Amino acid sequence: MYTKSILSVLSLSLFIVFTGCKKENPNPITYDYAAQINNIANNVIVKTYTSFDEKTSILASSLAALQSNPNDINLTAARDAWKEARIPWESSEGFLFGPVETEGIDPSIDSWPVNTVDLNAVLASSATLDKNYINSLEGTLKGFHTIEWLLFGISGNKTINDFTPREFEYLAGCSAALEDAIHQLYIAWIPSGGNFVNKLVTAGSGSNIYTSQKAALEEIINGIITIADEVGNGKIYDPFSEQNVSKEESRFSANSKIDFANNIRSIKNIWLGDYNAENSLGFSSIIKEKNSTLDTKIRTQIDEAIESILNIPGTFSDAIFNHPAEVQNAQDKVRALQLSLESEVDPIISNL
Amino acid sequence: MKQKYLFTGFLVLMTWVLINSCNKDLTDNPYYEPGEENAGGNNTIELETSNTFDTPSPALTAAELQMHKDGLVFFEGKFVTNPAPVQGGLGPLFNQSSCEGCHAKNGRAGFPVFQNDLGGLLLRISINGSGPHGEPVNVPYFGTQLQNKAIIGVLPEAQVNWTMESHDEMFADGEVLALQKPVFSLNNPYTPLSENTLISPRVAPPVFGLGLLDAISESTILSNADENDLNHDGISGKANYVWDDLNAKTAIGKFGWKASQPNLYQQSAKAFNEDMGLTSTLYNIESSNGQIQSDAYPDDPELSTQDLELTTFYTQSLGAPRRRNASNATVLKGKQIFIEAKCASCHIPKLVTGITVDNPFNNNQTIFPYTDLLLHDMGTALADNRPDYLANGQEWRTAPLWGIGLTEIVNGHTNFLHDGRARNIMEAILWHGGEAESSKNYVKKLSKTDRNALEYFLKSL
Repeated sequence: MYTKSILSVLSLSLFIVFTGCKKENPNPITYDYAAQINNIANNVIVKTYTSFDEKTSILASSLAALQSNPNDINLTAARDAWKEARIPWESSEGFLFGPVETEGIDPSIDSWPVNTVDLNAVLASSATLDKNYINSLEGTLKGFHTIEWLLFGISGNKTINDFTPREFEYLAGCSAALEDAIHQLYIAWIPSGGNFVNKLVTAGSGSNIYTSQKAALEEIINGIITIADEVGNGKIYDPFSEQNVSKEESRFSANSKIDFANNIRSIKNIWLGDYNAENSLGFSSIIKEKNSTLDTKIRTQIDEAIESILNIPGTFSDAIFNHPAEVQNAQDKVRALQLSLESEVDPIISNL
Repeated sequence: MKQKYLFTGFLVLMTWVLINSCNKDLTDNPYYEPGEENAGGNNTIELETSNTFDTPSPALTAAELQMHKDGLVFFEGKFVTNPAPVQGGLGPLFNQSSCEGCHAKNGRAGFPVFQNDLGGLLLRISINGSGPHGEPVNVPYFGTQLQNKAIIGVLPEAQVNWTMESHDEMFADGEVLALQKPVFSLNNPYTPLSENTLISPRVAPPVFGLGLLDAISESTILSNADENDLNHDGISGKANYVWDDLNAKTAIGKFGWKASQPNLYQQSAKAFNEDMGLTSTLYNIESSNGQIQSDAYPDDPELSTQDLELTTFYTQSLGAPRRRNASNATVLKGKQIFIEAKCASCHIPKLVTGITVDNPFNNNQTIFPYTDLLLHDMGTALADNRPDYLANGQEWRTAPLWGIGLTEIVNGHTNFLHDGRARNIMEAILWHGGEAESSKNYVKKLSKTDRNALEYFLKSL
């Protein structure tokens, strides 16, 4: 009897301690967004980089073909390939975290402005312009914008006869170097390579950098806020407010509007859960269950931002002077999206 | 009756157990200091992502935030060779073409991967002696910083290579850690290099929180100094006094691995000039002046006073990250060890900022940077044997530890110390010597559990 009582009291006490501790926990985790994080990591980020890897390979072969057979058809194909490769890159700028930054790959992809003085010096030199040599150069002598400057010309009207053999050689070497850089980025993410995707997927359950799912979601929301800020307050605002085309990102190819729209599409892809498609496990699904009106609002604001950018008449270089109302409207729409993400969506994640 | 007493006794006991066993995240632990989560005071960044160090202080006004963004243009922008319509002025000699090229994501540079491709590491050089203001003496035809890059058509000063020396350190429980130390060499110099050249490798330190450190008054720094170890604790701590070029006077040094820069304006101007080859109104002469690489291009200053001020403001207006898990029981156990091992004697947890005229948001802030901003003898293993003003070849400024736990999420590595040799926090601890020798030995005697607690604490910073 005595022993039995002791045991029952002990059991009761341990139960109190156990359940009491549970109740004492100040921040109980009441959510599980592993499926959404997994989906965004794989179906948005890795898919975007997979496309980027493929498209830069096509760009490299197009520029190799242009060097071998310089003609109008190959020139048009190379310019199209450049624009095609730009799509996944701009669509990845909503998640510029992980290897693109930590492995120092970004400067090899998208450095701006082009160091035209040094580029001309390189072209005039006797150096062999292969990818190994170009890899040894500064970021401002390689990547998308250097290729763009050579391929489209400063006024965008360069003809096949305007190219020198050294320029063809440089374009082939430069695009091969870009192809390698993007392949390195792709490999760094996939499970059979550097497996960075696993650091996101295991957030809160073993990831050494994302100690909670909340931290991973904050990384993701922070990424899309950052690109909205950059498009609204940098990429559109700087050349527009200063009336200065030399501050415009892709002016040689007249591709700026498409670039900006694809930046916003990177937000859309995160929101809808797939690369240029939609599934049920996007960021949207997290917000929708808490505030479906907000989810609808973000979807509308994303589409309005993309539409207003694409509706700017003519080239962006021309529009900053001749269509200020439309440029202003696009900037306003992007800023409205940014504001909603910052002031309404971010707090939901911060308060998880 | 007896059973009733027994029952009551158990209830009392279990209530006590309940109270004392559930405080894994409670704040009544004597090692918990209320408010220590807010490492940057009002300038604390509430974020745990790769953008944490990039985030402006939340205490800025709208006008200050705009100035911060205007400064960001110069901090993240890549510079190119003049003549150029935008971002011109790079070189002729340089280490990197942008601030971010070394201070990636405003964080800490890692140890380089490829020979001569140094990333965020550079070499300070000099010959023996000191200049009129106590500064290091130029290596003839090279200056006091080696630039291993140059614009096209210009010769870099030299190539930089390294080899690794390694040795083992053993903990009292028998666990062994293999440490490695880089030994740098200069090859193919553009002109013969003095045989007496002293070399000090330096990785780019984090940029966040610098405005708060800038706002710490000289008297606060000196209150922790004990140059002659009058309290006989084996730890001295002395201030570096350096030359303030703008005000043409001696001033206390606060920034850089040896506290050789007095303020962020000079630090920024020097980095533009030496690291990127950009002249400014403060340093209007190219770093290559007097060398064959020097250009005759009439573009100086390449950076206006306003541009330099905006860049400086950018570095002053970044916050410091909020601590994670500051009241966690294991973290607090680690903090207790940190204090008992006397790590906190130099890595002083808490300081209060003074008054700055220009940046009121940094004024009167209680901050937790884990530094005393003073120089300490760190022993022969860490020595660079290159004096820098009052810092001798074994002395280094106590590195601030705030944000150290976010290094991996921001920069993708855990390389620490002035040359990035340590591959993780425990290696960094084991490299401590000199005044920190007894602290290191204390750590070496700890159990694995206690070592883990110490690391867990450091990662919470």
